[in-house]
Amino acid sequence: MNDALPSFVPALPEMFLAASAMVLLVLGAFQRGPHVAREIGWLGVVALAVTAALVMSFGYERKVSLYGMMVTDGFGMFMSVLTLIGAGFAIVMAMRFNEREGVARFEYPVLVLLSTTGMLMMITANDLISLYVGLELQNLALYVIASFQRDQTRSSEAGLKYFVLGALSSGMLLYGASMVYGFAGSTNFDTLAHTLEASNASIGLIIGIVFVAVGLAFKVSAVPFHMWTPDVYEGAPTPATAFFSIAPKTAALALFVRVMIYAFGELVDQWQQIIMAISVASMILGALAAINQRNIKRLMAYSSIGHVGYALIGLAAGTPAGVRGILVYMAIYVFMNIGTFGVILCMRREGRLVEGIEDLAGLARTQPMLAAALAIFMFSMAGIPPLAGFFAKFYIFMAAIDARLFWLAVLGVVTSVVGAYYYVRIVKIMYFDEPKGAFDPGIGREMQAVVLISAMVILFFIVFPSPIVGAAELASATLFPG
Amino acid sequence: MIVQAICFYLFAAITVASGVMVIAARNPVHSVLFLILAFFNAAGLFVLAGAEFLALILVIVYVGAVAVLFLFVVMMLDINFVELRQGALQYLPVGALVGLVLLVELILVFGAWVAGPEVAQSIAAPLPLATNVTNTAALGQLLYTRYVYVFQASGMILLVAMVGAIVLTLRARTDVRKQDINVQVGRRRADTLEIVKVRPRQGV
Amino acid sequence: MADFWQGYALPVVITVAEIVAIIVPLLVAIAYLTYAERKVLAWAQLRKGPNVVGPFGLLQPIADGAKLLFKETVIPSGANRVVFLAAPILTFSLSLMAWAVIPFDKGVVLANINVGILYLFAISSLGVYGIVMAGWSSNSKYAFLGALRSAAQMVSYEVSMGFVIVTVLLCAGSLNLTAIVEAQRTIWYAIPLLPMFVVFFISVLAETNRSPFDLPEGESELVAGFFVEYSAMSFALFYLGEYGSMILMSAMTSILFLGGWLAPFNLEPFTGLAAHLWAGFWFALKVALVLFCFLWVRATVPRFRYDQLMRLGWKVFLPFSLFWLVLTAGVLVTTGWLPK
Repeated sequence: MNDALPSFVPALPEMFLAASAMVLLVLGAFQRGPHVAREIGWLGVVALAVTAALVMSFGYERKVSLYGMMVTDGFGMFMSVLTLIGAGFAIVMAMRFNEREGVARFEYPVLVLLSTTGMLMMITANDLISLYVGLELQNLALYVIASFQRDQTRSSEAGLKYFVLGALSSGMLLYGASMVYGFAGSTNFDTLAHTLEASNASIGLIIGIVFVAVGLAFKVSAVPFHMWTPDVYEGAPTPATAFFSIAPKTAALALFVRVMIYAFGELVDQWQQIIMAISVASMILGALAAINQRNIKRLMAYSSIGHVGYALIGLAAGTPAGVRGILVYMAIYVFMNIGTFGVILCMRREGRLVEGIEDLAGLARTQPMLAAALAIFMFSMAGIPPLAGFFAKFYIFMAAIDARLFWLAVLGVVTSVVGAYYYVRIVKIMYFDEPKGAFDPGIGREMQAVVLISAMVILFFIVFPSPIVGAAELASATLFPG
Repeated sequence: MIVQAICFYLFAAITVASGVMVIAARNPVHSVLFLILAFFNAAGLFVLAGAEFLALILVIVYVGAVAVLFLFVVMMLDINFVELRQGALQYLPVGALVGLVLLVELILVFGAWVAGPEVAQSIAAPLPLATNVTNTAALGQLLYTRYVYVFQASGMILLVAMVGAIVLTLRARTDVRKQDINVQVGRRRADTLEIVKVRPRQGV
Repeated sequence: MADFWQGYALPVVITVAEIVAIIVPLLVAIAYLTYAERKVLAWAQLRKGPNVVGPFGLLQPIADGAKLLFKETVIPSGANRVVFLAAPILTFSLSLMAWAVIPFDKGVVLANINVGILYLFAISSLGVYGIVMAGWSSNSKYAFLGALRSAAQMVSYEVSMGFVIVTVLLCAGSLNLTAIVEAQRTIWYAIPLLPMFVVFFISVLAETNRSPFDLPEGESELVAGFFVEYSAMSFALFYLGEYGSMILMSAMTSILFLGGWLAPFNLEPFTGLAAHLWAGFWFALKVALVLFCFLWVRATVPRFRYDQLMRLGWKVFLPFSLFWLVLTAGVLVTTGWLPK
């Protein structure tokens, strides 16, 4: 029993991010001036970029470190980079919004950085304990971000709702985790993967896994644990909503995949049906409930529920192809959401934010570029070729068919068609309805860049798919040992 | 050994009883006081289990700090708790149902406890023998080696909580006058005082 | 039967005797501390102090005690009876409980537990309950305000006190009080850790609600603060509790910083076996010295304003003690003085 201090090198990205968050916090607290929030924000983006470089420097090789608490592998690298990109864009998108709403405070980027640290921990977790700690670090920061516009009832309400339901789901996750520990004798994913066998899965272990799955389903907002999503997405400040729909979702899904495929991989028969049920329910609800929405943020909430449903098909397949599908799907989903929220953030009329779908009427005539960008994102979300969204769904459905889950694939196609209705409706409103008055001009250079970049990714994915698909291929392989 | 058994049952019984009183007491302040009693007896149980460090940390952190603030807030609240309680009764069936489900699950789980042969070997983090080191040292050895990663991350969580509390509640008020000791000390005679020679019948 | 006698009854009898041997002198000390306080204050203010009852007024504390004992205990009609009566008992018994772990000499301690310092810290942090309960249950605004002040104050100063204690622990390498004293054979911690000693002493003043931090009582604005509604014996228990915890905190200070029972110089006749004869004397002397500082401060320093109190606790002591903690740890690690 002479354990030594472990080497911290594998945790370098997390440590760097946490340290830079703290440095920025101190810097912000002692800095005076009108543009502190913006300066800290850009520094935060730089920190995220450096962290991404650090993450990538570890390569695809699978390495377990820190007494089995964390693992660095291709899968983690892919998802980490994706999360970092999402967080970076979220900071950039928030700058102008926060300044206009009078909540430009330097704590926002700091909280995003801290939350992202938690996400990286989640993605690289190799133990139920580090999983939980990372999750809480992420969540706690998210609750604060949700109620960042503290003078608005809506925002405070969103934060509180998020907090209560988040705490509930964390409780379920812990309950499940303690069951798993009780019956498997370990919280370490490697040990779990080695000792658990389908033949001796006891009822307690299965209940534990179910509870863990429920807790994780809460975090990715899959039906039937989605009820917080529309309210929180609608109430939270729009840049916060953008962040919620991008980074935490990616991280939580990565976690979901790692826990199920790697730690409980031997018990695939036990959990496959649960995942399938969740996935089907999410797809159906995402497609149907969004139809009646008038608020675009609420619509995006339901749309994200639907997207999670599609991504979970890949998990239900439980094959390398399925995981590759999830990785590609999430990569494309992140860019689609960044772009869409970039456009939503530009929806201002007479200095006030508007969120109704009708407010988009005639956007094609008043701001054709913005309308074109939104149209691209909407078509892509609907899954219409040759945009990136089509390929995202394509890889997922292919994996489902390979895994002989035909009806799941069919259901996915059907719900995409239903979902296409409301995406296309937005395009119709923009292009064929009478304008209700122009939005305020001058969306800011950084917003133009955000929208442009994401539109480019979506448009030209068909031309250069290899960086994303190839990386996803390599990354998914690392999750399946031997 | 009989003394230990008596102590155990005493502490356990008081813990459970005060736990019940926490939710049964009419007065919220009494509830908090019972909660404190429960903490205290839980600490006693820790001592019996040989974990004196945990026992005292429980008292210091929960009883000495957390519960004080809790009591502080509860005493200042002006809520009619009797009214609140009346509303609570209608949720009783749902609560009871959830509790029942959890109970059944637990019975199911422990009734069918099957542990694989490898499970015993994979029990996480074997503790150092209590006879060799004090349990403070044993905890330290584990926390700063095996669990250092999550230990530090927990620190980050606390930092986030602090930042969050400040972000959500701190308002820089401009309408209150605050004592700035540096300004006070830094005052020089020349800044504030002017000596004027006043001649009679001329004024200043 | 002999088994029972040997196994259970005898240890119980011995323990009870030990407890009595600690508590009785302690109660006498408390009584005469009140006398000492009045005398010291009197000298500081060029008065004579109590000098009527007995020679030099030496019987004054006993007369006071008798007076309080025979007065009527008044319970306000709006008071919460149980809590109202429990509060002084709690305060008083807490100030006695902590003495279980105080070592008077090597091996002369009721319970030589491994985490003695944590026990002391825990008990001292519980003192706030007596005050809060008293303030709340009295159903009086003065009492309540006093209780609120005290709760905030004691919790605030506990933080820096905790850091000071951790610093001492780092140097001593143990949580056992006897080991902490023994570790000071080379040098008393008051010398290398002088700034922490000062922080600790001031925090102790705040923790015991003594002047200049006696805002919970604050007689000029809150009448008598949290115990304004108390009378007779219940009042006396608060009084005893307050002075008891003063003595306790002085004992804690001398154990942590002034080498406990160790003689200040390593000369005859204070070495070898004779050291044990003198141990009690040195310990009592150091405690008395710290107690005198308590009284001295009270006689000379005016009361803090509440915002100043909080500022001192959170903005001065907390960062300062944190800095010293890190510094001490750094020095210990780099020089290799860290106890194994």
